Amino acid sequence: MTYVKEGVVTIVQESRFQLTDDNGVSHLFLLDRNAAAEPAQLAPLQARQARVRVTYEPARNLIGLVARSVRLLPPSQAR
Amino acid sequence: MNMHPRALEHAYSTLDHVIPNESELTAGVRIEAGRSYGFFTDTTVCIGCKACEVACKEWNNLPADNIGLTGQSFDNTGALSANSWRHVAFVEKSGANGLRGGQDQKFQSGWLMMSDVCKHCHNAPCLEACPTGALFKTEFDTVVVQQDICNGCGYCVPACPFGVIDVSTVDGKAHKCTLCYDRLKGGLEPACAKSCPTDSIQFGELSDLQIRAAERVEHLHGIGVDSAYLYGTPGAPGATGDLGHLNAFFLLIDRPEVYNLPAAPTRPANRVAPSLATGLATVAALALASAFLFAPQRGERP
Amino acid sequence: MTATISPEAAPATRDGPEDAPRVPRQATEPPSVHGRPNRAGWTGPTYYGRPQLKASPFENPVVGGYIFLAGLSGSAAVIAALADLRQGAEAAPLVRRGRYLALLAPILGAPLLVYDLHTPERFYNMLRVAKHTSPMSIGTWILMGFSGAAGLTAAAQFGADLRPGTRGLRGLARAAQVPAALTGLGLSTYTASLLSATSTPLWAAAPQSLAMRFGASSMASAAVALAMTEADPSRRRALEGTAAAALAAELAGAAISHATYRRTGVAGALSGKAGRVEHLGATLLGTALPLGILAASLLTRRGLPRPVTALAAVATLAGAAALRISIMAAGDRSAEDPDVSFRFSQPENLPAR
Repeated sequence: MTYVKEGVVTIVQESRFQLTDDNGVSHLFLLDRNAAAEPAQLAPLQARQARVRVTYEPARNLIGLVARSVRLLPPSQAR
Repeated sequence: MNMHPRALEHAYSTLDHVIPNESELTAGVRIEAGRSYGFFTDTTVCIGCKACEVACKEWNNLPADNIGLTGQSFDNTGALSANSWRHVAFVEKSGANGLRGGQDQKFQSGWLMMSDVCKHCHNAPCLEACPTGALFKTEFDTVVVQQDICNGCGYCVPACPFGVIDVSTVDGKAHKCTLCYDRLKGGLEPACAKSCPTDSIQFGELSDLQIRAAERVEHLHGIGVDSAYLYGTPGAPGATGDLGHLNAFFLLIDRPEVYNLPAAPTRPANRVAPSLATGLATVAALALASAFLFAPQRGERP
Repeated sequence: MTATISPEAAPATRDGPEDAPRVPRQATEPPSVHGRPNRAGWTGPTYYGRPQLKASPFENPVVGGYIFLAGLSGSAAVIAALADLRQGAEAAPLVRRGRYLALLAPILGAPLLVYDLHTPERFYNMLRVAKHTSPMSIGTWILMGFSGAAGLTAAAQFGADLRPGTRGLRGLARAAQVPAALTGLGLSTYTASLLSATSTPLWAAAPQSLAMRFGASSMASAAVALAMTEADPSRRRALEGTAAAALAAELAGAAISHATYRRTGVAGALSGKAGRVEHLGATLLGTALPLGILAASLLTRRGLPRPVTALAAVATLAGAAALRISIMAAGDRSAEDPDVSFRFSQPENLPAR
C-alpha cells in the first residue's frame, strides 16, 4: 500500500530525511534502495527548502517511512 | 566548577548564530583536521539513561528500530545496527539470565552499563575489506562510509571484529557511527558525548583521552576497584591482533565478554597473504601434476 | 518542531523485522551453558546469549554458487591450457570444452555477485579501487582479468571452429589462454581468502587449510566435469588422475581444517544442519567417495565403467557446491553463537608474533 505526503525537506542525513508537512508535523523517511531518487539529490532539496511530494510505504519494525519516490512540486502548487 | 572563559561570550540562552569552535566550550578541545579524535567511554559512571542513543538518533535522523521489548534488563535496543549507532548495554550482575557464576561487584551494586559504539579502529577491518573505497579515514582519524559510493556488498559486516557495521535492508547501504563527521567539520562535539550527563562518554583528542583514562584507572584502583582496566588502548585487550588502538575505547570493570566485547580480536587483512599463498600453491601443485599426466602422446610434439 | 510518529508508521507487525538487528537465535532460549554440553566452546559469561558478531549479509546459495562456478571455470581454463600446451591439436576437443566451460564464471558467476549486492546498480564502484587488504577487491580484478582473457580465448576458439582454416584465431586462442590460466589459478582459490579475511570465527580459524580445500575442490570439479565428457581413454585417465590428486588434497585440507576448528574452539559451529552437510555431503559423499571410485578406476588397467566414474563426477561437483554453501552457512552460525565467537577471540588464539 503506497501513501503520499507533501511538505518541505527539513533535515537530510545520508539517505534519511525529515519531511515537515503543512501542519508542522515532521516525518522520518528512509529512501528505499529502489527509489526513484538518489540520496545525493536530497541535500539540495533541503538547502532550497523546496516543496516535494513523497510516495511511501510504512516500514516494518521501524518507526519511519520508506520513501519510494521524491518529486519536486512545481512552483504553482507551492503556497 | 571551572568554566571555559569563552563561555561568557555566549551567555544568552537563545542564540542567533552557531558558536564557532563550540567543542572548546563543551568538550574542552578544539577540533582541527589532521589530529586524532575519539571517545573514551568510562563505564563506571554510566547510569544507563540512553541520552546518547537518543541524541545520536536525533542528530543523525535515524529511525527507532527493533520495536518491542527484549526482556533483557533495560536493553531494548539489543545491538548496534544500521539504525542504532549507540547502544547502551545493561548487565545485571546477580541472577541475570546469561551470566555465569556472576559475583556481585564492589561497584555499581551489581549493575554494569556501557554505551557501545563503533570503535573507529586504527587498522579498521571494515575499511580494509571495503572493495569500493566507500569506507575511508577522515581528516579526524575516524572511519566513515561514503554513502554515494557504497554498493551494499556487505563485506564490511563480517569483517568487523566487534559486530558494529550493518547493511540497511531499506536503502541497501552500509551504515555505522560516523563519529558525527558533519558535526566535527562544524567544530561541534559529537552528539552522544555532548548529551552524556555523567561524562561517561568523553570526546577529545586521542592522546589526551588516553592519558585521562589511565589516570582514571589509577584513581579507581586507589579507591578499591581493582578490576578496572582499559579496553582498546595500545597493548590492552581489544587492541590485539594488529588492530592497533581503538579510537573509541572503554574503561571496564569486568571481563570484556560481559559487555559483549571480544577479548582478543584480530585484524582480518593479516590472513589474506597466508590464505592466498596456500591456495595458489595448492592449485599450482595440482596443475603441475596435471601437466605431468598430460604427457605428449606417441612421442609427438605439440 | 519535533518529529512525531505518523499514524501510518506501523509498529512491529507479524511479518517480523525489516531493518532490525537480526533477532538472535539465542535470545529466545537460555544460554547454552546451564547444564548443557559445551563442545569446548566458551563457558564464561555472555551478554544474554546475544551474538557478539554480525553474520555476513550474503545470500549463501548465491555467493556459494558463485564460489563454486568461479572455481570450476578458473580450473577449467588451467586444465585446458595445460592440455593444449602439452598435447596440442590431439587434445583439441578437450581444450575446446575447457575453454567454453571457463565462460561459466563471467557469464553466470559475475551476475550472481552483482545480484547479491544490496545496491546492484552501483556494481561498477568495485572498479574504482584496487586494495591488497580486501580479497573482494583482489577477486574483482582477478575476475575481470579472467573474464577478459577467458572470453577472448573462447571467442577465438569459436571463430576457429567456424572457420577451421584461419590460423590467426588458433594462435590468438593459444596466446590468450595463458593469462586466462594464470588468473584462473587465482579464481580457483581467492574465494577462500575472501571468507578467511573476515572476523567470522569459522572462516578466520583456518585460513590456510580452507584455501587448500577450495583450491583443490576447484581443480577436482573442473577435472571431473571435463573427464565426464572426454571420449579419449588416455586423456580421460589423465583427467581422472588430476581429479584424484585434487580430491586427496581436498581431503587433507578437510582433515587439517577440522583439527584446527577443534583446537581453536570453533568446531561447535559445525554441529548443526550446515555442519552435517559439510561432513556428510561435502567431505564424505563429495570427496572421499569419488576419491575412492577414481582411485579404483585408476588402479584397474582399463578403468571402471563410465557410469561409475560419472557417478564420481556428479558426486564431486555436488560436493564442491555443498562445501562452499555449507561453509558459508556454518560461518554465519559461528558469528551468531557467542559460545563460538568468544571462545575464538580468546588471547590463546592470537597469531604468534
